[in-house]
Amino acid sequence: MFLQTLITGLSIGGIYALMAVGYSLVFSVLNFSNFAHGAVIMLGAYVGLALATKFSLGFGLVLAGSIAGAGIIAVLNERLAYSSLRRRKAPSLYLMISAMGCAVFLENLVYATIGSRFYAFPEFFGRQVISIGRSSVSLLDVGAFLFALAAILGLHLFITRTRTGIAIRAGVSDMTMCSLMGVDLDRLISIVFLLAGGFAGVAGVFLGIKYLVYPTMGWVTNKAYIAAVIGGLGSLPGALAGGLVLGVVETFVSSYVSSVMRDVFSFTLLIAFLVWRPNGLLGQDSEEKV
Amino acid sequence: MRKILMMAAAVLILVFAGAAFADDVIRIGHTVSLTGGASMWGQSEARALDMLVKKINGAGGVLGKKIEFVRYDNRNDGVEAVNVARRLVSDGVVAVIGPAQSGNAIASAPVFERAGIPMVVTTATNPYVTIDQRSGKVRPFAFRPCFIDPFQGTVAARFAVTDLGAKKGAILYDVGSDYGQWLAKYFEEAFVEKGGTIVAKEAFRTDELDYRAQLGKMKDLAPDVIFIPTSQKEAAMAAKQARDLGIGAVLLGTDNWGSPDLIELGGSAIDGGYFVNLADLADPDIQDFVAEYKAAFGEEPVLPNPVMAQDALIMIVEGLKKAGTTDGAKLADALANLKDIKVTSGPLTINPEDHNPLDKPAVIQQVDVANKTFKFVKKYFSVE
Repeated sequence: MFLQTLITGLSIGGIYALMAVGYSLVFSVLNFSNFAHGAVIMLGAYVGLALATKFSLGFGLVLAGSIAGAGIIAVLNERLAYSSLRRRKAPSLYLMISAMGCAVFLENLVYATIGSRFYAFPEFFGRQVISIGRSSVSLLDVGAFLFALAAILGLHLFITRTRTGIAIRAGVSDMTMCSLMGVDLDRLISIVFLLAGGFAGVAGVFLGIKYLVYPTMGWVTNKAYIAAVIGGLGSLPGALAGGLVLGVVETFVSSYVSSVMRDVFSFTLLIAFLVWRPNGLLGQDSEEKV
Repeated sequence: MRKILMMAAAVLILVFAGAAFADDVIRIGHTVSLTGGASMWGQSEARALDMLVKKINGAGGVLGKKIEFVRYDNRNDGVEAVNVARRLVSDGVVAVIGPAQSGNAIASAPVFERAGIPMVVTTATNPYVTIDQRSGKVRPFAFRPCFIDPFQGTVAARFAVTDLGAKKGAILYDVGSDYGQWLAKYFEEAFVEKGGTIVAKEAFRTDELDYRAQLGKMKDLAPDVIFIPTSQKEAAMAAKQARDLGIGAVLLGTDNWGSPDLIELGGSAIDGGYFVNLADLADPDIQDFVAEYKAAFGEEPVLPNPVMAQDALIMIVEGLKKAGTTDGAKLADALANLKDIKVTSGPLTINPEDHNPLDKPAVIQQVDVANKTFKFVKKYFSVE
């Protein structure tokens, strides 16, 4: 049972990590928690679902389409809801409130247009199971886990090795100075949202395949947010570590303590980190920037 | 000022006109989930009622008046259901159909009871819909046309032990739902009584998506059957996750599984699962209804709600005829004493002791994913 619990925890944690990356990316640059990220994940899942069911595309194209779709939605979201606040140098609390409004707006938009029905993706991988000793794990979970690792590694390389990545990191440390040095901040922030949206698209498709697609599915990002805080908001390796730690801890609590106690545990962990270690496991000093 | 006076006058005229109009109709409330997770059943239920009321009104109505529905969406939410109940009371309905879900029905019952308006639920199977849990006495204004959960849980357990030969059972249920919690209890009791053992009883919280921790625990205990008294959405996800973990146990469910969504969402993982239902498309008693519904709406009804809602309406109509008045207390008395009336699902007699029907059978159906249907397996009239 121990090994099975560990495997299950890691596979849940992989998805948390994928979602937490979106929070951390935006937080690292704009220093606010983008609570609309969950809604973008949900919309990404719907984009993927439409491509899979209406156009009968294969898994690769569905994933690519969902990444593009959610990326564009995230950029539009920033343009409509945050950019004017940002230009007026509004406190990050205002951005956060705007983000919450966006989440509710987007959810209700889907309710009003597509409806509240539940949908499932076609079975891309059948129900293939890989056995490890007496434990087993589905092929999809292994795939999702490896893909999440690869995507986060790719993003890490992009941010540390490319010119745009360096510009983003410069923006993280000092946005005003960065714009004085001739960096186009609007473009930079659009790229950050495009990347965060792309990750939302991946997370949306994997969540949709694993579970179901429906308007309030974005609430799972509560967990991703906790993962981001545990790992250290604003840190990419932290998002990965936080996601995996949370996934494993939750699964062990469910298995060895009580499944009903799981969320009590997760949220206690969140509060404990906020109080005693607000920078998380791997986060750098993240005091509010003025 | 004059403008305001004129507007007030206009409003008054409208109110009086409305009241005058209301005099020649009988207003019956309908609290139903038109949106939310149970909307498939709710919408089918509303259609079936509209279809039937057209027929009743075409034949002259009841007590010389036409029936009119006052319908509100309770979104399958407890708080919203109580709001809807209050609104129906202030709208002055003479009786209410719904809600369909036990939790919502239990929450709504006291509102209608205080107002003296009879409520006939459609598919709420929890015993405490018609019995007050605190006093243990029957609720004078609550009725139902469907069987109750102790019967349903017992049928499921008996089918598991005698027909599936199950010795070790496991239960996965929603700890936040009255429906799931009580069914888990009734199944457990009956399964043990029949000689089986419950090796695992695991809970999850409402709206949770991942049950693999709970299922992983069951895996080592190798149950023959896993009882999952949840809605189609959770059942589909639980089935997928159980198969992903390599669990081969037979999956067994309850009447909340009975939606085409189950097959759509669960795919191959749910294939071969069994569940207890209130009605079956193949049941000879409801063939006329199914044909009529298909002709009117171009698709099959989502059972069992449309059938049970029609049963509820027929109960109210028969009650009104018997009482000869729309007075709430007299109507409730008539409903409690309904005997051998003909409803859509067959004959119906209400037990005045607990306001439950005496003779509603339960069917066992099997999920057939390849043909996208539920196969009729067997029918239980009693579990004695």
